[in-house]
Amino acid sequence: MRNPVRLLLGNPVVLKELRGRMRGPRAFIVLTGFLALVGGFAILLYLGMNAASRTNTGQVDGGEIGRTLFAGVIGIELFLVTFIAPAFTAGTISGERERQTYDLLRTTLLPESQLVMGKLFSALAYVFLLLLAAIPMQSLSFILGGTDLPDLFISFVILMTTAIFLGTVGIYFSARIKRTLPASISTYGVALGIVIGTILLFFILTVVTAPLLDRSGNVQASRTTEWIILIGRGALICLNPITTLWVSIDALVEQQSLWAFEYTFQGGSQGATSTVTLPSPWLVFTVLYLVISALFFMFTTRRIRQIDEQ
Amino acid sequence: MTDEPNPVSSENPTVEALIENIDHPKPDLSSLEVDREDYVIETIHLHKRYGKLHAVNDLNLRVPRGSVFGFVGPNGAGKTSTMRILTTLMLPSSGEAKVSGFSVLTQPREVRRSIGYMPDFFGVYDDMKVWEYLDFFAACYEIPESERPGLINDLLELVDLKHRRDDMVDKLSRGMKQRLCLARTLAHDPEVLILDEPASGLDPRARIEIRSLLVELAKMGKTIFFSSHILADVAEICTDIGIIEAGQMVAQGPIDEMRRQLLPHRQIVITLLGRVDEAKEKLMQVKGVQEILDLKDEAGRKRIQVNFNGEDAGISELLTALTSSGIPVTNFAEQTQDLEAVFMRATKGIVT
Ligand SMILES: Nc1ncnc2c1ncn2[C@@H]1O[C@H](COP(=O)(O)OP(=O)(O)OP(=O)(O)O)[C@@H](O)[C@H]1O
Ligand SMILES: [Mg+2]
Repeated sequence: MRNPVRLLLGNPVVLKELRGRMRGPRAFIVLTGFLALVGGFAILLYLGMNAASRTNTGQVDGGEIGRTLFAGVIGIELFLVTFIAPAFTAGTISGERERQTYDLLRTTLLPESQLVMGKLFSALAYVFLLLLAAIPMQSLSFILGGTDLPDLFISFVILMTTAIFLGTVGIYFSARIKRTLPASISTYGVALGIVIGTILLFFILTVVTAPLLDRSGNVQASRTTEWIILIGRGALICLNPITTLWVSIDALVEQQSLWAFEYTFQGGSQGATSTVTLPSPWLVFTVLYLVISALFFMFTTRRIRQIDEQ
Repeated sequence: MTDEPNPVSSENPTVEALIENIDHPKPDLSSLEVDREDYVIETIHLHKRYGKLHAVNDLNLRVPRGSVFGFVGPNGAGKTSTMRILTTLMLPSSGEAKVSGFSVLTQPREVRRSIGYMPDFFGVYDDMKVWEYLDFFAACYEIPESERPGLINDLLELVDLKHRRDDMVDKLSRGMKQRLCLARTLAHDPEVLILDEPASGLDPRARIEIRSLLVELAKMGKTIFFSSHILADVAEICTDIGIIEAGQMVAQGPIDEMRRQLLPHRQIVITLLGRVDEAKEKLMQVKGVQEILDLKDEAGRKRIQVNFNGEDAGISELLTALTSSGIPVTNFAEQTQDLEAVFMRATKGIVT
């Protein structure tokens, strides 16, 4: 088996894409724009928070501001990643068709997996660069307190996983649909689905299960029902990058646990409380989406290997 | 300022080049070794349907090893469709196609290894230099990095683009792009070149350059299968031709055989002031004359057509036979019956 790093760097598509992407002012402009947006947002947030906390208590809570700033920066990064990852990938295969370079490429010996991997890697490498460049901005919150390295780690993993997933989905649609515009629309549809759709489903679940909840939203039902609701909520939380990050960091703050957290059953066996240890949502999120990404990668490769009907 | 067009002047180098090309020497194909027992490309009852349209209809194409094979047919005849099947880009509706003995259906990778393909329309990447373009495709053909610089130089030299090595690909002219694409098809030293209208959209000079490049490649031992609707081009550089019409192969074989088969004789039309019977008698005595037909009178002058089988020397003998007997000839002309006639005769103009 060949060294995977060499395989990646020896991938002609990676070389070609990076060469093209890094040539000229475009890469510089996108990076600058990204940092300006994230930075500008962070400054606004800081100023706003500062003013707000001053009027309320007359005293600045550094940790509070730090946490909000951190969340805000990640929020805008997530927003940008959900825009950039599809934009960088949904045109990769269809674009080759539209520019009439696809046939030339397909008659070479380039394996389909290398084509897909090359396109995906070069798009993600750039997203990775953007996220890396924004880390100092996130680290501002360290100075103010309230957040720590594990928070940064979790958020970075979640953002990167989101980018990988949306990137593979983008390439999948690009190979499947053959035209860039509908491929982009489909990919943004999926992006919207995981960012907004899952939250809507969460609300629907909450509404449907409302009779089983008490005033503070805790479950008052049999153990089995509580399990079902727990899994339902958990699944929806773990499908959404925002809620995943939220709950994971909550677990980190409340229970000082990066990998797992303890859930205490509220209702059921006449007040006899018991607890169960669950994996932290970011772990589930990452594993789940990486597996789905691998599947999409496979589907894409298979689609490209198929000889066209027309 | 006047809008007067430039008079054609031989001081203009472009014009000179064009004039020079009008009577360029015919390429010599005699050194090519064509093995008519061994087919590099073979299709067996190949069909392609697009919905109701039968674009390729029971095509049995056979391209001999070492040949320069011109695949000729009118617009929409099914040339591109056939080529896309042969290059593993499109599935046939039914039938089988083999390239270098490999099935396009079950061994596409082996087929790709043995072909170099130039499509009729193709794009180039807009963010690449000429050498990077070739480097990229060489890498796609699994050529080791260490061998690529030398290969790129050789290829650029072959297609005469060495001076444009560091230019951006999309800034090249159409003819240069065409040559670059041809260089690209050669990166992995394939056995067969499949070229879809390699000369289309080129000026006369570029057309001739591409043609001589093809002959050059054929001499290097490659089988060249290319499509065209310009029969004159094909005739000059082909050892074999296949004529396709409405998805069906009308005729295929060695070019000389095709000429003989479809153009049985040369036709000479002679206009006389009189003494027709005497003229006929004299003409019948010349070797190679097969038959003499009466044509309709034209402005009171007698016209006859001589069907003749032979070389140019024989034709001048015809004229000598008449003039030496003092028969008044006002016009003597061989009907131009080149391959275009073969084409027109073979293709009845039924285009889908
Ligand atoms: N993808 C397609 N879908 C539907 N019909 C098609 C498709 N491709 C080709 N055709 C039709 O099939 C027929 C053969 O087309 P093809 O391109 O093979 O002809 P051709 O001989 O290459 O013509 P030309 O000399 O104009 O390039 C045409 O009638 C064309 O309209
Ligand atoms: Mg065509």
